Amino acid sequence: MTTRTAIATNIAGSMILAFLVLPILAVVPASFNHASFIRLPPVTWSLRWYQAFLNDPEWWRALVASTRVALLATIISVTLGTAAALGLERVTARMRTALLAIVISPLIVPVIMTSIALYYVMRPLGLHGTTLGLALGHTLLAVPFVVVNVGISLRGVDPNCVRAAEGLGASPWRVFRTITLPLIVPGLAGGAAFAFVTSFDEVVVSIFLAGVQAKTLPVKLWETIRVEFTPVTAVASTILLVITLVLFVAVKAAARGLPHQDGSRVR
Amino acid sequence: MSAEPRSLSFRGVAKSFGDVPALRPLSLDVAPGEFVTLLGPSGSGKTTLLNIAAGFIVPDTGSLHIGDADVTALPPRKRDIGMVFQSYALFPHMTVFDNIAYGLRVRDVAAAETERQVRAALAMVQLDDYGHRRIQQLSGGQQQRVALARAMVIEPAVLLMDEPLGALDRQLRKQVQLEIRRLHREFGRTTLYVTHDQEEALVMSDRIGIMRNGRIEQIGPPQELYRRPANVFVAAFLGESNILRGKIVDCTVGTARLAATGLGTEIGGPCAPGLAVGMEAGAIFRPEAVGFAGPGEGGLPARVMEVVYLGELLAIRLALPSGQEVWRRCFPGTDDPVEGRDVHLSWRTEDVRIVPLDNQPMEEN
Amino acid sequence: MGLAQPSAEIGPEVARRRAHPHAPQTRDRWLAIALLAPLLVFLAGCFIAPLAQLLRLSFAAPEGAFFAYREIAQSEVYRRVFVNTLILAFNVAVITSVLSYPTAYMLSRLRGVAFTVAVACLLFPLWISVLVRTFSWILLLERNGPINRALVGAGLVGEPLPMLFSSIGVYIGMVHVLLPYALLPIYSAMRNVDARLLQASDGLGASALQTFLRVYLPLTFPGIASGFLLVFLLSLGFFITPAILGGIGNLTIAMLIDVFVSERLVWPLAAAASFWLLFLVLILVAVASRFLNLASTVTAR
Repeated sequence: MTTRTAIATNIAGSMILAFLVLPILAVVPASFNHASFIRLPPVTWSLRWYQAFLNDPEWWRALVASTRVALLATIISVTLGTAAALGLERVTARMRTALLAIVISPLIVPVIMTSIALYYVMRPLGLHGTTLGLALGHTLLAVPFVVVNVGISLRGVDPNCVRAAEGLGASPWRVFRTITLPLIVPGLAGGAAFAFVTSFDEVVVSIFLAGVQAKTLPVKLWETIRVEFTPVTAVASTILLVITLVLFVAVKAAARGLPHQDGSRVR
Repeated sequence: MSAEPRSLSFRGVAKSFGDVPALRPLSLDVAPGEFVTLLGPSGSGKTTLLNIAAGFIVPDTGSLHIGDADVTALPPRKRDIGMVFQSYALFPHMTVFDNIAYGLRVRDVAAAETERQVRAALAMVQLDDYGHRRIQQLSGGQQQRVALARAMVIEPAVLLMDEPLGALDRQLRKQVQLEIRRLHREFGRTTLYVTHDQEEALVMSDRIGIMRNGRIEQIGPPQELYRRPANVFVAAFLGESNILRGKIVDCTVGTARLAATGLGTEIGGPCAPGLAVGMEAGAIFRPEAVGFAGPGEGGLPARVMEVVYLGELLAIRLALPSGQEVWRRCFPGTDDPVEGRDVHLSWRTEDVRIVPLDNQPMEEN
Repeated sequence: MGLAQPSAEIGPEVARRRAHPHAPQTRDRWLAIALLAPLLVFLAGCFIAPLAQLLRLSFAAPEGAFFAYREIAQSEVYRRVFVNTLILAFNVAVITSVLSYPTAYMLSRLRGVAFTVAVACLLFPLWISVLVRTFSWILLLERNGPINRALVGAGLVGEPLPMLFSSIGVYIGMVHVLLPYALLPIYSAMRNVDARLLQASDGLGASALQTFLRVYLPLTFPGIASGFLLVFLLSLGFFITPAILGGIGNLTIAMLIDVFVSERLVWPLAAAASFWLLFLVLILVAVASRFLNLASTVTAR
């Protein structure tokens, strides 16, 4: 490829990457607007709307609800997903492909469809508007990431290590606890982080299932956007953004620090 | 768990994977403290036999005894074995110390005693100060020594090693070979060792079992296998040999004569059992047994094709009139042959061995 | 080496293991089932069962079993929505694929710090909620937003462009959200191209353009195809972005389903529309499964 084309590609590529990242950051300065309408960049800067957010019981409740649901969804996903990943290692390759397809299918089926189906079923069961109901819906979308992540970690474990531990006299449970589990912690942690973020960010499922008590932050934001246009929406968006960013950075940093199965450090 | 080495006995053990027989029914007794190597090409069944000894594979028929106990149905962790793998299989998230201590901790050995035994094990493999190191910091040779220490510290009844030196380079392999031999001399653990490297087998073993296609072709001390191979396969596998094939024209107990194909002469000498007149067989003699006949002494006509210097030895490639090749090894002398010269080959009758092409050991059941 | 009789006592465990030499050991099989059961039961109850109910609903219209499906397929209004969504999805897939190609190429050539930063730029948006990503475009595209102010200020337009609540807004928003999904498969394909093939082509005298058209493009085509199909698939079901950024003329299938459920409470129609949508998605998946591993693409995070 000629240098001119290479330069052109690099310029185009950089612009497109900038296009990907920068617009999202627009919510941050918008949240510091002092006036009650959003102007970018703000005319006057202040923390007024942050205070409004924190003082408003509805926003605060939404933040708490989001955290509660995400924690529950993460716990459920990690438990179900890790067990499934362990089980998948022990079945034939053909079964594994079939089962994986089933596990991933909630990501292929349009979310709107899953959402209304769950809405229809959960209402008579009394699960609509509950933390549990919502967490179950989120788990559908989160668990594939756990299964895949833990699966990748598991495949990196040398099967001879397991055999060596068995030969040294360890029971299957002991082998799992002392050998397998420590070696899949990176995959587990990564999966847990993905699960948390997936749940925290989820909009469509939450719109249909959250009701009033379990109204999560994205749902409140969705409702507010359609009605009013004060900077408090930008505040809520920024908070969502920051939480996700913190988790993203934490996962990358943690992955950097942990050794690979063969001892080499991750890039 | 006893510290006494015990015997390891396979009785009529066979295993097939689907339609493929990996092991035909065979029996093998390893005496307490003996070092037996299973030697053979890939696919010969040696690793399958080792895994049966370990308990990772269950045989289709037959039984396995360690000492007096029938362990056929026991899972690996109940068998009192120590295993060393080609890939070391050290626990990557643990230090050297914790790796070696693992088996002791599983057996609920007290902390102070564990410490003492691990230190002794480290000293045994000459890695005294390496206890606190992570295994990723060790070289391949060091890792394999840790693996050895880990397997031996629990004083297993039987030590099982699956091509442990396969991942090491040549120099290291020689070093660790001697290390393993030293450890065996010192501690006398019953050992079953698997390899495809015949040099390795010769260095370390009390007995070698040559395997092919799921059978043991021959088993015995290295000297015996080398000097009196049971068939052409064993002879070819262990050491260098010249093989001249032909039909048996005469055989009695202990000696036979073979009409060499394409050469128009007969070769006679001591023979292996199992021969009959008319059978296809091979006459085997080692390159170091080949000599040049002086003028007028008869011998097999041949032409020197190539002279190779191997350091302190000469290897001479000779072509027979039939087109077959024979190798001679000797020390360089004053009258070294040159390429293209015609010579006559001779050897002592006792240096030849007439063996069947293939042994069909009795099918065991 | 002595010949001995096999031991007369064969434990039941050994006998059982011998009876099924080809099957995994019984204990292992039970363990695998026990480990997989919780997730599978969960999926059966929280996913398969509700969808089955929805399917039942789709046939439950009082006017007749197939009424809902026919209504969606034949009514001018609903057909329009489906066609519009298909066109939207196709266009978004094209635009994202075109934009992704040079970007992926640049990415495949970067090393070191620049690479880490670039990859972060690519992956970071995927972690952010689609709602936040869409909302940020409201801020940027509105009449008094920075883009319009810049355009007017620079004299490029007479008055602010109505980008929100129109197709422009929807396209910008969806391309922005879905671009990483097109990029990752292309990047992956590019990474797997053996540089020696390009060198060989060069060495055989081909010009840069020829090498590109004859070697590089065909080799990376599976990546382009799976990225395209993935974006198409995701766009078909899109709800949030068109709902927020689009106008009355930009109704997507998902929005229609929402209207059926939330406003008009006509469940059979909602269910039928859902399954028509699923049908389209499955056709795409069937086509896509000929190319790259869809599973790894979808879980690319």
